[in-house]
Amino acid sequence: MIAAALPSPGVILAGAVTAAAVSLWLLLPRGADSRAASWLGGLLGATALAGFVLTGRRLGGLGEEAVFLIVSLVAVISGAATIVSRSPVYSAIWFALALAGVSGVLLVLGAQFLGVATIVVYAGAILVMFLFVLMLAQPAGLAPYDRVSNEPLLSAIAGATLLGLLTLSIGRLSADPSCCQMPSKAAAMAAGTAGKSGDDVKAGDAIDSAIATDPLATDQVARLGGELFGRHLLAVEAAGVLLLVALVGSIAVVSRHGDPSGELAPGRRAAS
Amino acid sequence: MNQLALLQNALVVGAILFSLGLVGILTRRNLIVMFLSAELMLQGISVSLVAWSRHHGDFGGQVLVIFVLTVAACEAAVALVFVLQAFARTGRLDSAAWQSLRESNLPRRVDRELPAVDTVPPTFPRLTPAGVLPAADENDLLQREHV
Amino acid sequence: MQAMSPATLLVLVPLLPLLGAILTVALGRRLGPRGHLPAIAGIAAAAVVAVSLLLGLGREVGIGDAGHAPTARPVEMVTTLWEWAGVDAAYAPPAGSPAAADTTRADGTTELRSFSIPVALRLDPLTSTLLTIITCVGLLVAIYSIGYMHDDPGYPRFFALLAMFVFSMTMLVAASNFLLVYVFWEAVGACSYLLIGFWFTKPEAAKAAKKAFLVNRVGDFGLAVATFLLWMTYGTLNFHDTLSADGTILPGILGQSRIADAAGYVGGAVGTAICLLLLLAACGKSAQLPLHVWLPDAMEGPTPASALIHAATMVTAGIYLVARCAPLFVVCPDALALVSIVGATTALVAALIGTVQNDLKRVLAYSTISQLGYMFASLGTGTMLGFTAAIFHLVTHAFFKALLFLGAGSVMHSMGGVIDMRRFGGLRRLMPITAATFLIGALALAGVAPFAGFFSKDEILAALHSKGWPDAHGEHHDAAPASGHAALPLPPEEGRPGGNSAALVHFVSRMTASSESASTVPALDHPRTWQTLFWMSLITAGLTAFYTFRAVFMTFTGPLRVPDEAGHHSHGGAGSAAHESPPVMTIPLVILAIASAVSGWWLFATHALSTFLAATPSLTVPAVTATATPPAFHFDLALQGTLAAALGIAIAAVGHLGRRSDGPQIERFLGPLGTLFANRFFIDQLYKGLVVKPLEGVALVAAAFDRYVIDGLVDGIARIPLALGAWVRHLQSGLVQRYALVGVLGTLLIMLALASRLR
Repeated sequence: MIAAALPSPGVILAGAVTAAAVSLWLLLPRGADSRAASWLGGLLGATALAGFVLTGRRLGGLGEEAVFLIVSLVAVISGAATIVSRSPVYSAIWFALALAGVSGVLLVLGAQFLGVATIVVYAGAILVMFLFVLMLAQPAGLAPYDRVSNEPLLSAIAGATLLGLLTLSIGRLSADPSCCQMPSKAAAMAAGTAGKSGDDVKAGDAIDSAIATDPLATDQVARLGGELFGRHLLAVEAAGVLLLVALVGSIAVVSRHGDPSGELAPGRRAAS
Repeated sequence: MNQLALLQNALVVGAILFSLGLVGILTRRNLIVMFLSAELMLQGISVSLVAWSRHHGDFGGQVLVIFVLTVAACEAAVALVFVLQAFARTGRLDSAAWQSLRESNLPRRVDRELPAVDTVPPTFPRLTPAGVLPAADENDLLQREHV
Repeated sequence: MQAMSPATLLVLVPLLPLLGAILTVALGRRLGPRGHLPAIAGIAAAAVVAVSLLLGLGREVGIGDAGHAPTARPVEMVTTLWEWAGVDAAYAPPAGSPAAADTTRADGTTELRSFSIPVALRLDPLTSTLLTIITCVGLLVAIYSIGYMHDDPGYPRFFALLAMFVFSMTMLVAASNFLLVYVFWEAVGACSYLLIGFWFTKPEAAKAAKKAFLVNRVGDFGLAVATFLLWMTYGTLNFHDTLSADGTILPGILGQSRIADAAGYVGGAVGTAICLLLLLAACGKSAQLPLHVWLPDAMEGPTPASALIHAATMVTAGIYLVARCAPLFVVCPDALALVSIVGATTALVAALIGTVQNDLKRVLAYSTISQLGYMFASLGTGTMLGFTAAIFHLVTHAFFKALLFLGAGSVMHSMGGVIDMRRFGGLRRLMPITAATFLIGALALAGVAPFAGFFSKDEILAALHSKGWPDAHGEHHDAAPASGHAALPLPPEEGRPGGNSAALVHFVSRMTASSESASTVPALDHPRTWQTLFWMSLITAGLTAFYTFRAVFMTFTGPLRVPDEAGHHSHGGAGSAAHESPPVMTIPLVILAIASAVSGWWLFATHALSTFLAATPSLTVPAVTATATPPAFHFDLALQGTLAAALGIAIAAVGHLGRRSDGPQIERFLGPLGTLFANRFFIDQLYKGLVVKPLEGVALVAAAFDRYVIDGLVDGIARIPLALGAWVRHLQSGLVQRYALVGVLGTLLIMLALASRLR
């Protein structure tokens, strides 16, 4: 009944996207900070989020709905806060919170390993690296370049337009089982409906897909590991090499430009 | 649970995170915040990939996200080294400090004068020292020989 | 030679100098000091062929044939080489013109005329005479040039141009089609331009060449329009008669069938217009008033070029044209009278200007203009005597004027390029051969018996006298001109081409209808006019003798004075003093002196030339043959001419014989008249104000238009990409995030496009 009273989803989406653009523009640092702009931006942002929520499909149960809504809101709002915070340290902290939200979303989607790995690797390692760099390089107080942005309006419009297009395409995904299937799966399903060969393939796939889709499955990590080191062994090894290369490379770059003669000294003083 | 609805909603979340990260990269001038925004974009991608992986019922998307994670770590390491080099040359973490690739007859872009921030700088409480401070002089604190 | 037909020989006459010119252009640099050989070989061979053609044609006419009396029938021989252009059924001639009369079929409908230009050459006595003169005098001038130009860096170029000129001039007099004549009219003008501007690095030479070409252009315009009118009236441009496909004769404009036809030529307005336009062309080429201004300036060119072109041959092209078109002229008596008036006036004015010139070559240039005026005056009488006297004078003038010019060149050569008579004097001991030949030429020019000029000038005066006092000569003009008189001025033509032909038709029909009625308006062709012209010519004869001998006395008599520039070059180690010219230059002088001395007497005594020319088809038109008189020696006129000449020589002797040439000049003696003559009657200044300055103004406007409007437009268009670039340049600001933003916007555009297509 509420849905009947509201305008069509397309209009709501358009309105939400517009509100998102304007709110981003208002919230981004633009030189002179006014409290009114921040509040208005926040309000419009909330409106936009409400619009997105309204036009989405319902998930089914209230519990699932609530959990998903909470974690996704945390992720989105923290993400927005990351990019609009004046102080980069605050941005980093907000980013940590966004990571928490993303981790929740991943868990809801049934990716147990990734949900934890996100926290461990990102928040635990990468974010700390960022904080170290900020410690070394950030001036005390707000630097002038933290209080201005490059082309806030155009970027906000671009981001909002992109969001609108993506949402439109996502909204067109239909419930047709043949839609958006992998080719092998689609062929197997077609074979399955015809009642042809491959019962054990179908069974294996069914088990796999059951495990993959259940957030509370017990041997999901093992399965993931098996998949990773089975089909994607070469890629894993390559990723290992890549990590080694990155390690060596960063050390090499640092030591090449290390200069004890004092050439870098003026830079240091300006930082303070 | 409505699988299609979950897929769609997760994809929308991923899209929102991606767009937010995009806006951040395009807009913010602090190099660190730029990289944070890039990481935000990668998070959005991860969410989308995992959503698709769930929809298809196999681990392909998750494996890809693991690699994305790995590469993001390497990229962050190397990029931060470069950020520090940039800081060493210019003394600030401003992306607008690097304009030499502009056309030769365009002027350098400088910021307008900003109104002063009239907030009181926070004063931090002084604690009584517990122990002995190491012997260090003023210059040492300010100088770092290399990063 | 006997094996070759006259047609082949006729083709050889222009062809051999052309080959010589081409070979000189191709091999000239390589031949070095022998670079004159191809050209001289070509011209010499052409001279031999021309003389043999002359002799052959003379035999055919019956000259020297003791048994027969020479015939007065026309003698010609036409050879057609190829058809240059042709359009079948191109043109419907206007009703009432002779062209329409030729093409009217039996049932009264007119067939369409075809436009056809064959490259045809025609040999008749007039052509043959001129060919001989051109090639022989050309040969002598070329031999002279070997010595004169021997240390000039442009040696092969000069000979190539000489040979080219001989080719063009021979083709001009041999061509049997008005369009071909026009082509070679222009060609000789071009050769003249190239030869006047031979030393083109000298600004005066370049300006003089330009002036000659542009003034000639005015005359060429007349020839072009005359050609158009001739085509419209007569339906053909050929001189000779041609056979059409079905065996009927298409009469040429100057062909025998039309000449024999009593109503073959159109008089009235159209005929007079054609004649006046042809006169304009002749004035341009032959330097008559008012287009004479280029000839004195043309003396900037090398002296052999002046001798050949501006004395003997090119300037006689106008005389040739009028003589050739005699049938066209005799039906328009007013045009004929105008020819004489222009000629005699020019003769007098040029003689007056020549009396105060101090530059030897300028004196000779004005003398040329004056003598050409004599020839025109004689042509304009319209009698057989007049025409033949004009050609006779042309022949003798070619000899003695070339002689005088080459002599002046010899003086200039040994004086180191100085030709101002006030700077040297008494050269008769230094350069005896030059002095002797120059004296012979001067006597011929002044008209002293028994040298050449005496006889030819005497005949001209006789022709004028016969028109001025018709009774005294005992013959009457019985045959009326073929068509009626037309009163001047001409009625105005309408603007549209259709209107023109309608007016043409109207006037042609009116005039031919009224040909029998006597004119009621006094025309130019009145005895009083001719008497005035006679007295003018007599005075001019006296002036001619005066200025010629003034030049002779100033140059060759008096104390010997040599300018400093003389003798700075050596002829093969002859030392550094001024000296007589080498034999390669003096032998042509001697040959021409002999010709000047003997030719007049011989041609007059045997009446060879007049009987020879009487066989020219153009001169066998009944209106001219009716005026033929038996050749006689007019003693009283000879006496008057000789007295005038003697008076002139005497005054010149009083003023200059034996004196220093830089003494008091005649110009100051004449006072304001002298200033008038020295400034050439201010005609140059008049042209500068009337023509040159307005044209310069127009050119200035055009230049400003070109610079500001057209260039401004182009530059403006060029500035558009610059502006666009300046605007687009701001995209590349060096700020990386801006680049990323542009990339994102582009991607969004593509996505929008794809999304709209999916819908």
